[in-house]
Amino acid sequence: MKQRVRSDTTMLLALGGMALATTVLGARKPARPPRQALRRQAGREIPMHIAAASRFNHSSSLLALSVLADSAVEHYRGSFKNPAMFIPLVSASLSFFAGLHGGHDRRAASHPVRHGIYAFAAVAGIVGTGFHIYNVTKRTGGWSWNNLFYAAPLGAPTALLLSGGLGAIGERLRDQPAEDPHLLGMPAGSALALAVSAGLLGTVGEVGLLHFRGAFQHPAMYAPVIIPPVAAALMAQTALTRPRPRPRTRWWLRLTAGLGLLGMGFHARGIARCQGGWRNWSQNIPSGPPLPAPPSFTALALAGLAALRLRQTEK
Amino acid sequence: MQHPRARDRRAPDVFRKGGWVPMREYPCDEEVDFVIVGTGAGGATLACRLAEQGFKVVALDAGAWWRPLEEFASDEAHQQKLYWTDERICDGENPLKMGGNNSGKAVGGSTVHFAMVSLRFRPEWFKCRSLLGYGADWPIDWREMWHYYDEVEQALSIAGPINYPWGPPRKRYPYRSHELNAAALVLARGAEAMGTAWSATPLATVSAPQGKSPPCVYRGFCVAGCATNAKQSALVTWIPRALKAGAEIRDLAMAGRIETNDVGRAVGVEYFRDGAWRFQRARNVVVAGYAIETPRLLLLSANHRFPDGLANSSGLVGKNLMVQSNQAVWGVMDEEIRGYKGPPSLSINEHWNYEDKGKDFFGGYAYMSQGPLPAGWASTQNGRGLWGAELSREMQKYNHQAGLKIVGETLPQERNRVTLADEKDQYGLPIARITYAFCDNDKKLIAHSLHFMEQALEAAGGKEIWRQEDDTCHLNGTARMGDDPRTSVVNADCRSWDIPNLWICDGSVFPTVGGVNPSLTIQAIACRTADRIHAIAQRGEL
Amino acid sequence: MNNDATTTRYPGYDVLNKRNTPSWDPITRQVVEDRLSTPREPRFFDPAQWAAATALCNCVVAQPGDRLAVPVAAMLDARLLEDQGDGWRDARLPPLREAWCTGLAALDAEAQAEHQRVFAQLAPDRQTALVEQMQCGRLRAAAWRGMPSDLFFSERVLHDLYGAYYSHPASWSEIGFGGPANPRGYVRLNKNRRDPWEAIEATAENAATVKGENTRVR
Repeated sequence: MKQRVRSDTTMLLALGGMALATTVLGARKPARPPRQALRRQAGREIPMHIAAASRFNHSSSLLALSVLADSAVEHYRGSFKNPAMFIPLVSASLSFFAGLHGGHDRRAASHPVRHGIYAFAAVAGIVGTGFHIYNVTKRTGGWSWNNLFYAAPLGAPTALLLSGGLGAIGERLRDQPAEDPHLLGMPAGSALALAVSAGLLGTVGEVGLLHFRGAFQHPAMYAPVIIPPVAAALMAQTALTRPRPRPRTRWWLRLTAGLGLLGMGFHARGIARCQGGWRNWSQNIPSGPPLPAPPSFTALALAGLAALRLRQTEK
Repeated sequence: MQHPRARDRRAPDVFRKGGWVPMREYPCDEEVDFVIVGTGAGGATLACRLAEQGFKVVALDAGAWWRPLEEFASDEAHQQKLYWTDERICDGENPLKMGGNNSGKAVGGSTVHFAMVSLRFRPEWFKCRSLLGYGADWPIDWREMWHYYDEVEQALSIAGPINYPWGPPRKRYPYRSHELNAAALVLARGAEAMGTAWSATPLATVSAPQGKSPPCVYRGFCVAGCATNAKQSALVTWIPRALKAGAEIRDLAMAGRIETNDVGRAVGVEYFRDGAWRFQRARNVVVAGYAIETPRLLLLSANHRFPDGLANSSGLVGKNLMVQSNQAVWGVMDEEIRGYKGPPSLSINEHWNYEDKGKDFFGGYAYMSQGPLPAGWASTQNGRGLWGAELSREMQKYNHQAGLKIVGETLPQERNRVTLADEKDQYGLPIARITYAFCDNDKKLIAHSLHFMEQALEAAGGKEIWRQEDDTCHLNGTARMGDDPRTSVVNADCRSWDIPNLWICDGSVFPTVGGVNPSLTIQAIACRTADRIHAIAQRGEL
Repeated sequence: MNNDATTTRYPGYDVLNKRNTPSWDPITRQVVEDRLSTPREPRFFDPAQWAAATALCNCVVAQPGDRLAVPVAAMLDARLLEDQGDGWRDARLPPLREAWCTGLAALDAEAQAEHQRVFAQLAPDRQTALVEQMQCGRLRAAAWRGMPSDLFFSERVLHDLYGAYYSHPASWSEIGFGGPANPRGYVRLNKNRRDPWEAIEATAENAATVKGENTRVR
């Protein structure tokens, strides 16, 4: 059991790192003026970038819900052996509510509590990845396929990081002027699209690994390793090329969003197919296909749609 | 079960409680292309492959046709219904223990209760006389076998590691290896400490859904029969395929005699079913009853033309019986192991199958992690003479126990044999007498393995280590294949030298046994035999 | 029972509490129920054999004193009634029923010869001493009819009595075995990990709390 899989892990880590860079930088930088450019006057339209920020809050919220449910099940399976295993539950819950709150917030200014919660989620995601790496390496066999399949999943905490990242980006965006908002030295729409692209690829890495573990026993298991990477590529294209209407990209993102919901249906059916089906829930929910995992694609695709909308208004 | 289920053109559906599937039926007086005796790893595989080629196939099994989902209890004692519990007499210096350990009596044969360990032979073993200096060469090239191993691994959706550390490259296992339980990780730690490789064991139980089989739930009753159908036994793989292809399988049908005609060809099989002896006519007869019942049937079929039994001009029918040594070291771990969870042998070390240096014996062995259930474990403890309060104290350590157990090669010896006893069974047929003794080489191999495993277990943290020196498993030989009619019973195609339409297709044909569980090789041989029969039939030489 | 049986590491755990959980399927419930209702009166043994068999079971199989004893002798009797073989026998032994009848009669004969009483009437330590002699193959009275007493002890007495004892749910609870497991198997396979439906191992310090928790294991 000495199969080396460094390349896969490196890839995962690189993706995680990209997402991390986006969020941390976004979270850390002091808010820039002009705060006075608040546009809440009645009758005036909500600026594009605030609408996008709200949608990012919402996406972050959905992602957090997915993380909350997934880590609850997985860490219950792990018997909460380490008190730190409660952290993602707390963090994801906070992110979830912050996202709901932010989704309704039309103010053109970041909210310090929300921003703090998102930063916490991002940090928890990073620390969690560290814990999971440690869990894999300390096991007999170390970096073996078997440990990647069955030890603490390396990619899982990245979802928390992504949730924090999406939210933090949204908060950062609120501090930008309505005209030509920028993030990380590029037009905000590009930055958002790149973040979504990285998030999609990271999630695909995790799904690829787990569906490989499942031997791609059902043809539908190929869908989440084919459709989202295309969405990620389209997002990258959106970010890096001149803004223009992209109906194809929008259509593909919607497909990706639908895939997440459909995936949940497939996973529910997968649990029903296990011995004892739903009646044997105490085994089949933790051991069967993870029910809350697929909607993370929905969350990312929705964020992608927001990014796309913003990007199309840019020059 | 008293009465056959497979009748009136239907057979039990193993995938549905109370379910049935259609089955073709042949009248006894119709001369079918093949009648196959036994539906285990050899017989079921061959029945499926021949039926899929369009041959008319009838397969007989002495055992019952169970529906695992509703009839396999989570209970060691009850599940003895899967074992061959008809009496056999064991003698010799090392009288064997039979039954659950090595003999099944059910449609699907021993694969219904096997431990699912699915290993390939080391290539050199097919020429071990020429290349390694012991045993007898097989008349088959390993590369050809590699092809058939691929086929069987695909058919059984074997769950195995991405890279197997020993032997030439093989196709990727169709399913990923299972999560390792604590007992398997004890083996891993020990192997690493000893500087050898280790691996997740390739197992015939699925790690993800496959057709109507759900993924394994790690209930740990594997050797008492799998109640979920995750185990890819012949009962849920080859047999449903065989039925679909038009084979008829008759349960509770005990073969008592193969008839031959004046020109010395087999004409059919006499068998007992539903209270009466019946006779199935056939153009070809295949014996696939495993290494005890196969020679027994051949010997029971002796007649004036073949006074020493069928296919026995070499005098080798029943001889060269090879078990595999199944010794173990056991120890107590500080941590909770709870080896009853999951398939019993999730990890393996095949180092001493592939390493020839540092051995004072011929052959090799693999060792695997263990997960005995309570009655089996008590019996192991009884084997060291423990009883009373002393045994109770040992049994209290059940959840902390870990063990390493070999599947070790034994050499073919003509004195190890199956003969007929005077005693009769419930069918009125003489029962088998099984004579067995380890040779010096076998004993050296066992000593080597115990010494090595003891160090490995200690390095993994085992305490109170002791040796279990008395166990054996698997049955092979007794109708060996070869190139020469004088020194073998069948040729490479499993066709008997003496009677051209009599075939033997099970573990009996193994000239040597290697240090791995035989089921995968038996199934690979059966697939090869099916292809050979196809080729022979094409030439009009069947 | 006569022997000091060690106390269990799994206080409060009763595998039968799981009878109505997804760990047990209908066939298993039926099989175990049938076993638990094995008649306590002999149907195969005659009174003398029954007395000897009961005494032998009490002598050989140690059971904890704080629960109803597993009726090992009755389970043996039921097995002999059905003449349920193992699928093999050492050539030096007669068939199952004959071996038991001969062995029990021989034990009585040996006890008579040495102590002028049948085996069942011997004091526990004398029974144990006789059994130990049997284990070493030192009993060779004519009543054995050529059957080696050590082989009878290892292949029949230990095999059959412990086979019966460890087929009883009380023994599963005693050693912390998870018991029947279908459709629900196990989730947590790693060391020191336990599913909520598995017994908790007690230490000297926490036995009392564990006992309470184990009664709730389902």
